[in-house]
Amino acid sequence: MSTETATMPEVERQTMPVDIACVGFGPATGGFLHTLQQGLMNEDGTPAVESKVMPGMPPQVICYERADDLGFGVSGVVTEGRAIRESMPDLDLGEIPTAAEVTSEKVAYLLDPIGASRRSGLLKVTDTLIKPFAKNHAFTIPWIPPFLRKEPGMVFSIGQFCQWVGQRVTADGTVQVWPGTPVSEALIDDEKVKGVRLLDQGVDRDGKPAAGFMPGMDIEAALTVVGDGPFGAVGRQLDEHFGMPEGHHSRDWAVGMKFVIDLPESCNLKPGAVLHTMGYPEPEIFGFFYVFPDRVASCGIFVPSWFESPTRTAYRYLQHWLMHPWIWQHVEGGSLRSWGAKSIAESGRKGEPHLVGDGYARIGEGSGGTNVLRNSGVDEAWATGSQLGEAVLELLKDGKPFTKENLEATYVRRRRESWLEKESVKAENARNGFQKGFVRGIIGTAMAGMTGGRLHLGGEIMRPSEHVPTLEDYYKGRVSAEEITEIRKACEAKGAGLHDALMDKVGWPEIPLDGKLLVSQQDALLLGGKVQAPPGYADHVTFHDTTICESCEERICIEACSGQAITMNPEGGTPLFEREKCVHCGACLWNCSHTDPSNPERGNVNFQASTGGFHSAEN
Amino acid sequence: MPTTYQIVVCGGIVPDPLQSLEPVMGPTGPALKNEMMLPSVLDPWAWHALFEAADLAKRHPGSKVWLVSMSPKAKLQQVMMGLAQKVPFELVVVDGPASGFADAVETAAALAGAIEGIPDLDRSKLLLFGGWQSASRGTGAVLQMIGEILGIDEQFQGVDKLTVDDSGGLEILERIEAGAWQKSRCAGAPAVLGWATGELPEPPNNPQIGMQNMRGIMPALQQAKPAALSGEGLSYDSVESPKQRRETRVETEMDADAIADEIAAWLKG
Amino acid sequence: MDTKVLWIGFTDGSGMLEKPALEALTAACTIADGLGGELVAAVVGGSAETALGQIGGASPASVTTVTGETWSAPRYKTDAAACEQVAKTTEAGIVVSAAGSRFSRIAAGLAQRLGGAVDTQVTAAKVEGGTLKVDRWFYRQRMIGTIQRSTRPWVLSVAPGSFAPCAEGAVEATPLEVATESRTTPLGVEAGTSGAQTIRPDADVLLVAGAGWTKKQADGEVHVDVAADLILDFAESARASLGSSKSMVDLASEGQAVLPFLTHLHQIGQTGASPRHPKGLATCCHGEEPHAVGWRFINERRAINTNAACGWAQGKADVLYVADAFEVMRKVNERLK
Repeated sequence: MSTETATMPEVERQTMPVDIACVGFGPATGGFLHTLQQGLMNEDGTPAVESKVMPGMPPQVICYERADDLGFGVSGVVTEGRAIRESMPDLDLGEIPTAAEVTSEKVAYLLDPIGASRRSGLLKVTDTLIKPFAKNHAFTIPWIPPFLRKEPGMVFSIGQFCQWVGQRVTADGTVQVWPGTPVSEALIDDEKVKGVRLLDQGVDRDGKPAAGFMPGMDIEAALTVVGDGPFGAVGRQLDEHFGMPEGHHSRDWAVGMKFVIDLPESCNLKPGAVLHTMGYPEPEIFGFFYVFPDRVASCGIFVPSWFESPTRTAYRYLQHWLMHPWIWQHVEGGSLRSWGAKSIAESGRKGEPHLVGDGYARIGEGSGGTNVLRNSGVDEAWATGSQLGEAVLELLKDGKPFTKENLEATYVRRRRESWLEKESVKAENARNGFQKGFVRGIIGTAMAGMTGGRLHLGGEIMRPSEHVPTLEDYYKGRVSAEEITEIRKACEAKGAGLHDALMDKVGWPEIPLDGKLLVSQQDALLLGGKVQAPPGYADHVTFHDTTICESCEERICIEACSGQAITMNPEGGTPLFEREKCVHCGACLWNCSHTDPSNPERGNVNFQASTGGFHSAEN
Repeated sequence: MPTTYQIVVCGGIVPDPLQSLEPVMGPTGPALKNEMMLPSVLDPWAWHALFEAADLAKRHPGSKVWLVSMSPKAKLQQVMMGLAQKVPFELVVVDGPASGFADAVETAAALAGAIEGIPDLDRSKLLLFGGWQSASRGTGAVLQMIGEILGIDEQFQGVDKLTVDDSGGLEILERIEAGAWQKSRCAGAPAVLGWATGELPEPPNNPQIGMQNMRGIMPALQQAKPAALSGEGLSYDSVESPKQRRETRVETEMDADAIADEIAAWLKG
Repeated sequence: MDTKVLWIGFTDGSGMLEKPALEALTAACTIADGLGGELVAAVVGGSAETALGQIGGASPASVTTVTGETWSAPRYKTDAAACEQVAKTTEAGIVVSAAGSRFSRIAAGLAQRLGGAVDTQVTAAKVEGGTLKVDRWFYRQRMIGTIQRSTRPWVLSVAPGSFAPCAEGAVEATPLEVATESRTTPLGVEAGTSGAQTIRPDADVLLVAGAGWTKKQADGEVHVDVAADLILDFAESARASLGSSKSMVDLASEGQAVLPFLTHLHQIGQTGASPRHPKGLATCCHGEEPHAVGWRFINERRAINTNAACGWAQGKADVLYVADAFEVMRKVNERLK
């Protein structure tokens, strides 16, 4: 068997045959394994279908998850939970820590109480008109359109949900889930996916064998289920190998960054309260605030790829957002418990890859399941997994192989006939307007939402790199080119990014760190179990073409790095990367102002499979 | 004929030691805030002990390793996902509290009972391994007590190295004060070894070991007997995190000479 | 018997009682006084003559000795047998000793043999309304609890540095014969690290070296050899004890050639030691609560770090110097010579 990008072809690798190998454990794989597990055994304890690799036994189903435990490094969520409830009609939210029914929803437009955000003339006029009706510098929208409502629905920590699902699906032993075990690539032979290769262990930072070297094992499987999220290594490998369907691409992204906060006694928000914000700290940045039971909130911001700032560090923006009077009234006096960040694939149906092929199927966020009109992805991910689970059971029971044709007739058919597909079609162009600015984007989204997707505002979807102006252009009229040169020089001397200095310059006040709720970014890395990186793995962030880095002026990878793991190289050239600080948010992958010469759909940063990252499942 | 061992490793689960922990006083005594949400790991010292056990078993073919754990079984199941790919072992589960506030005496009795229940365990070859401390209760008491209950009175604590000589004797280094080791030789099993960190690196994940272990782990979890600890004889007046914060003087402008002067004066003062 | 307090002291190679043993004797006196009970003492070791001249300040009602070659070195079976027999003979309700390695090895086993309970590393003891209450830490010095027990005998090991040493004075003792034999042979003490001794429990100052020493410095280069010299120089000239952060030790165990004199024995913090020293100087460390627990028992704390926003600035150290530790430590060493 040959592999397309064999990491070490000369190394002899062990192989292990299984029936089904899954890559990544999130809501999609949770939905898949939950559904599959229901049908693998008969009530009398005998296998309903038989394993091909272990005759007499039920199919051997293995899931490999790269993070050190299930549900690490994800987020809080509000969801209608339709698919989740369909799969589990007797779902008791009380069993899942952090889960609660949605009890109230508010959407607010936040005014800028500081005067530092970059607002267009049109928006400034809007702000003036709204101001008399605002309270705490916010205008609460009196009516939430149905396409945005999540009530009836639920809030929960995806981490806690994944842990709970993980315990359920593994409890009877028919399914095994192994965290801390990254998959480096799919094994592709003769255009068929034949299984996966696990990541090499015991290597140095360059991936060369070191003490305790253990070549990643080849796991041979009749079916490989790829649910490795928006930027998983295997998903991206398949996208590149098999290409995307005509007209499809993954160009829209956002980084979500959030705090988990122990709310103060004074906070009167009830569990299940949901707040959404827009307009501040920059018009392009959206906020969320979900209240869990026991006075805990998961709250944060989304910074989209169409936010045209080359210095788009989310952390400081998150602190400014938290300190907006409309949010601050709820959190002042509370304490920070955890922090996290994650990339979100915002292309929705436009980012849908080939869902199936010989020997593989794609589910979840990386399969384009997210609904970008309803801002909903977790339930959709569960739905795709569940649909695949039903399809696989059908094929197993019929004794049919996992060919492209059979998977299309079972999984893809189910998906196309479901509510997920219908709503996804309505949402497909809802956000196009944002390509040309915030106001146009909001209007376009509203139009698509109110007309079931029939009307929307157009806008060619640009690659993230095409959204990036020079610093001089972005700050035109606020910071002169000479001042930017000075700031750049001063920051280079300190080895620091430009973001803080530029934000200071345009009037953002210093964050009054209190060590409790407002902590430095490096201290945030130490919260909630600290960011960790097990030894013996290679650096997973690398750069395709180092000459591009040498002439790069924007260096967004440094500015946008959520963990400050990518830093300026004092010797110039390719930035430095510290694996121990990487939170695996994936923002560097798409936050690059250049494209890889060998593939214009991707930036110059490569993000390979690896372990480590956040050690918290309460996000 | 080479010596073979029956190695029983005792280890509970603890919150990932890098998590922030806060005590709360519940109706049945102290507990940790959000205990169910905190990621758990096998106690770090027991973790080392398990690797040492596996290494010893590998060097003495025919030996066998059990991991005996008293923990809430749902949480233990999750910890096993991170552990079971490391080294081969057979799991024995007591479904009970892993809290640092549970008493050592009762915990020891429950674990000793579980060990006594292991079928065909050859006590003459028994090496009882565990951590010399834990990241929860931290008394370093349970292992000694289990040893006493099982009648093993050759015991060692803070072990960093175990060497088996040609005649089957166990040469052991135990941590003592001032960064030194007490060296002893025990004529052979049975013995109790409470491990410090040992010398072995963490083994890599091996999927085949995982598959093999998991066949026994899930039945062991399903068959776990519950152990309700009474807490009799022990009561807590209070448990709290130390709150005192220091008024830190942050010096950003002093030059190196001034700092050195100040530190030298402080050290001499 | 519930109010009878037995203190047990182990003598060292020269027949002396070390400071922690005398501190535990103070704890035993405090408990006996509080309970209105009787204090009895026992000395175990190769010999007891010198030790009997050290414990008179406590005025024990009786003193028992268990001595001889069998007890000249620590060993579980023989030490446990001696303590068990003394405890049973004296019928003590409370048994107190220092939480050194020798008693820590047997404390819980002793409690099990006596049918009692055990608490180790006790940091305070008081009697309120006739009830003995002791303080001990949980979850690796992350939280402190005050507990009481109705179970007797209650075996307590007392953390070093928690009480003042008891005043000296001579006492008379009654020897106790203990018959025991063991399959274990003590073979002596081995130094933990090669080269100069760098772990000194009695040092006035603890120097903690963090992973920053091994990172690239301002010139873009790593200077591990310079770091090693600076740290060892300081340890020698300040007679300091040396500690390291977990990340530093982990780097070493990954096979990287970093500060080879630092081992797991040096590790301070969550999965390392929490030593007691009057002063502590942290260099190139960055961490918050789980890491800082290693400093719980350091009285005066200062830190050198290049980051003003370091977790240490948030109320954990008395002084944080934002500076290059390489430069500062070189100058500090010059001043200490």
